[in-house]
Amino acid sequence: MLFSCDWLADYVELPELDELSERLTFGGLNVEHVTPVHDDVVLDLEVTPNRPDAMNHLGVAREISVLCDAPLSPPRPELEEGERVAAELAAVEVEDLAGCPRYAARIVEGIQVGPSPEWIQRRLEAVGVRPISNVVDVTNYVLWEMGQPMHAFDLDRLAQSTIVVRRAAEGETLITLDGETRKLVAEDLVIADRERGVAIAGVMGGQDTEVGDSTTRVLLESAHFDPVSVRKTSKRLGVHTDASHRFERGTDPDACVRALDRAATLLAEIAGGAIAAGAIDVVDPACLERATVEFEPGRLDAFAGVDFERESLRRWLDGLGFELQSSDGELWRVLVPTWRRFDVERAQDVYEEAIRVLGFDKIPAALPVTTGADGPETSEQRRRRQLRAHLAGQGFAEAIHYSFISEDDDRAFPVLTEGGAPIELLNPLSELYTVMRRSMVAGLAHCAELNQRRGAESVRFFELGNIFLDREIESLGLVMGGVAGSPWDGARQVDLFDLKGVVDSILDFFDLEIELRPAELAGILTGTGAELRASGTERVGYFGKIDSEGSFPVFVAEILCSALGTSAEVSSVDIPSRFPGIGADLTLTHSTDVSWGLVAAAIRDQAPEDLVDFSLRDRYLGEGVPDGAVNTTIGFHYNARDRSLTQDEINDRQTAIARALEASFGWREGGAPEGRDG
Amino acid sequence: MRPLDLRGGLLDGFLKEAAVVDSREAYEALRIEWAGRKRGVIRTLEGELRELPNKEKRDFGRLFHELRRTVTATLEEIDRRLTAAERAHREVGAAVDVTLPGRRLPTGTLHPVTLVYYEVEQIFRQMGYSVVEGPEIEDDFHNFEALNFPPDHPARDEQDTLLLKDGRLLRTHTSPVQIRTMLEREPPIRVICHGRVYRNDNSLRHSPMFHQVEALVIDRGITFGHLKGAVQAFFRELYDAETQVRFRPSFFPFTEPSAEIDITCPFCRPPNGDRDSCGTCSGTGWMELMGSGMVDPRVLENCGIDPNEYSGFAFGGGTDRIAMTRYGMPNIRMLFENDERLLRQIHR
Repeated sequence: MLFSCDWLADYVELPELDELSERLTFGGLNVEHVTPVHDDVVLDLEVTPNRPDAMNHLGVAREISVLCDAPLSPPRPELEEGERVAAELAAVEVEDLAGCPRYAARIVEGIQVGPSPEWIQRRLEAVGVRPISNVVDVTNYVLWEMGQPMHAFDLDRLAQSTIVVRRAAEGETLITLDGETRKLVAEDLVIADRERGVAIAGVMGGQDTEVGDSTTRVLLESAHFDPVSVRKTSKRLGVHTDASHRFERGTDPDACVRALDRAATLLAEIAGGAIAAGAIDVVDPACLERATVEFEPGRLDAFAGVDFERESLRRWLDGLGFELQSSDGELWRVLVPTWRRFDVERAQDVYEEAIRVLGFDKIPAALPVTTGADGPETSEQRRRRQLRAHLAGQGFAEAIHYSFISEDDDRAFPVLTEGGAPIELLNPLSELYTVMRRSMVAGLAHCAELNQRRGAESVRFFELGNIFLDREIESLGLVMGGVAGSPWDGARQVDLFDLKGVVDSILDFFDLEIELRPAELAGILTGTGAELRASGTERVGYFGKIDSEGSFPVFVAEILCSALGTSAEVSSVDIPSRFPGIGADLTLTHSTDVSWGLVAAAIRDQAPEDLVDFSLRDRYLGEGVPDGAVNTTIGFHYNARDRSLTQDEINDRQTAIARALEASFGWREGGAPEGRDG
Repeated sequence: MRPLDLRGGLLDGFLKEAAVVDSREAYEALRIEWAGRKRGVIRTLEGELRELPNKEKRDFGRLFHELRRTVTATLEEIDRRLTAAERAHREVGAAVDVTLPGRRLPTGTLHPVTLVYYEVEQIFRQMGYSVVEGPEIEDDFHNFEALNFPPDHPARDEQDTLLLKDGRLLRTHTSPVQIRTMLEREPPIRVICHGRVYRNDNSLRHSPMFHQVEALVIDRGITFGHLKGAVQAFFRELYDAETQVRFRPSFFPFTEPSAEIDITCPFCRPPNGDRDSCGTCSGTGWMELMGSGMVDPRVLENCGIDPNEYSGFAFGGGTDRIAMTRYGMPNIRMLFENDERLLRQIHR
């Protein structure tokens, strides 16, 4: 918000610019820019929404007077009233005192509309307001001087010279000053005459009663509106004005008539005309009541961590407009100025005033000594940290994508719960971000695409974050593809089993056995997809190859973190045998329909004594192997805890397992193998 | 060869011959001549000594033993030397170009935001804070109302809330986690939380999703001075001990007094660089990094904590900005574009 130093200097003596900027910034009005304009300097101040009182020059001058310890001299209009009596020339009826606790008006007659004098125009331009005519400029001038938004009506255009403040009729329309036709709803507050709405209260005036070149009699409005009512209307209409900005943050109801006097005096001075005697003033006295706040300066000291000089405290509060009713003993009592009525209600609010005027820098820093137990890392937090380290160790880069995706992407990738619909945004940024993600791989798939497009020869990313199903759950997504290694040391294309190896290593890391089933999944190429099932039923993840048009095939996986357990307990180790182990291979010829998973499960089920480990050694299709069959070579590793096994013992065990596997899966010429269920 | 020769410089002769041995062949010749099992000098002398009368046997025996010891030790020494030389030679023969690339996986990386967060977490954990978490989809109560944002208050405008069709919203800050923590736990409370937050703002300098970290301390006798101390300790740990912190009054509905936190720009502070050309702080020397304040008594009340007994402070801000400045990224959206060429440069 812009302020003219030249203007401020009317009310308070300004220190050097650097000091002024510093005091304002560290007193609560952050100086964002300082711009010299002609003979003036314009300050751009950041005025927080709790300080509508500082959204005008007089308010800022008041702050300066306290922060810089200089006297404040507010404008004192010398009002000269004419013979005609305002109350006889116009009437004001307020139907809704809650929405409009105060409506004051003055009449100025016999004016001549024209441009305002240069000094007014210059000041308005300095704060970014376009001069329009002397009447409009005066209302704007007073707004920027005292913070009271005003409006001037052409009195001759008000039906029966009457102002009625009321709620709009549902669907009532009004053409505002900007030429737009506004359709109103019943909760909007309007200023009307006897026949129609003439302004949207606190937001914008209407075209019909606008002051024009031929206007000679004006009714000046200076009102106080309910902030919430103004805000609702302004938001709904999408109209934000200097007036609505102040009304919705809270104006000073006590300033209405003062501002009116100031405006009428100025207007008579620059546009000629006579001010009718008396101000019309409809007011709910409750809005003028000042709140009482009691506080203990001792508690302020304790809260701030510094001892305040009581005399300074009194001076500052007085300068800010607080009336000190009692400030001698332990308990002080102050009356809050009407321009701070929305902001200061409690002792805490007074503490803030004291601390900011003193300056935050005057308060010594101290480290808190707090008691209570330190919370250790939770098992989820540890799991997250371990997962990240594990994946980084496997050469993955961590990615972070937006949590919202498009509906197309929601449909394009697997969702780990059956059915249901994604959570939709009401006001999405664009159609790319309309629903909360239910899959971690949507973002990663795009990421693979983007990096391919930018020339990457391989991608290897993971992301750890929440997906949004019926509740928020943490999930891990993986994407990989492209060249592994370099041509120099034997490059090859990453395939599904590279990705599966990563999935296996994660499951291994968390000591998990998860069942894996081939599955048809959205966005996963047929025949390449598998789902992971914990305890046989719950779907906790999947992997597969996605349909992508990039330069290399892309593989994705997703695993719910909850399925990984928390690895909070470390299981005790198996003490390795001190005796040497023995390896033995076995080759089984079986139908290509029999999966390795089935064979492996059968070996685990019927594991011979002292079998420590077994692994797939080779699969062979070709000469010597019947059509439809495959030779699978399995390596077994035996080791007894208490002795060296003899070759005879090994042979016995191998024979037994070979027989069992043969019986379940062995190739039968011309017929299906028996006992396929193993 | 006779025992008499033992007195006639036999040992010196051996040593002279041994001194010039420089190859395996010469060594073998020397060994066979002196220590050969059949006709070596030692063997021969040994046989002859046996023939001598006892008295002479003793005299010559001493000299013989000295000779044998010296020959054995010297031969061993030469053998060792030659073996070492031969091994060295072999290695040279199999020399490789050690500058050739090794076989490797790509170097894995954590996201810059994660890296910054882990560092922040470490600092807070050392100061005794624990880490709490909360949902990203929030309701009006936790995100606004309990934090003293009245309905229809302009303070809500600054939040640019992303709303959901089901009436809930995406949290606009991590502060609802404060509320959840205070509702759940009795003071003393000393926690941080970190996570994704959302705003309906996609301008060049903003991202609709970003990350915040926030600290909350509630206890008896917590002062504004403590807020300053905690913030200062945090930034001096994150940057360095020379870091200066300043507090500018501001407004947040859930704290009072509220303050913006600026720290001296770590990138252009002398002697680090030239302030006038510093892109990080635009030459001001200060970076605005966080918001802070004393928890508003109304917020404490909303969470069932008696403000007459307890007070507290909170401070927090975006970790993305810390990451951007640390790694010199000009645009926040680069953080979430996930260009491998960028992310893989950042390892720590």
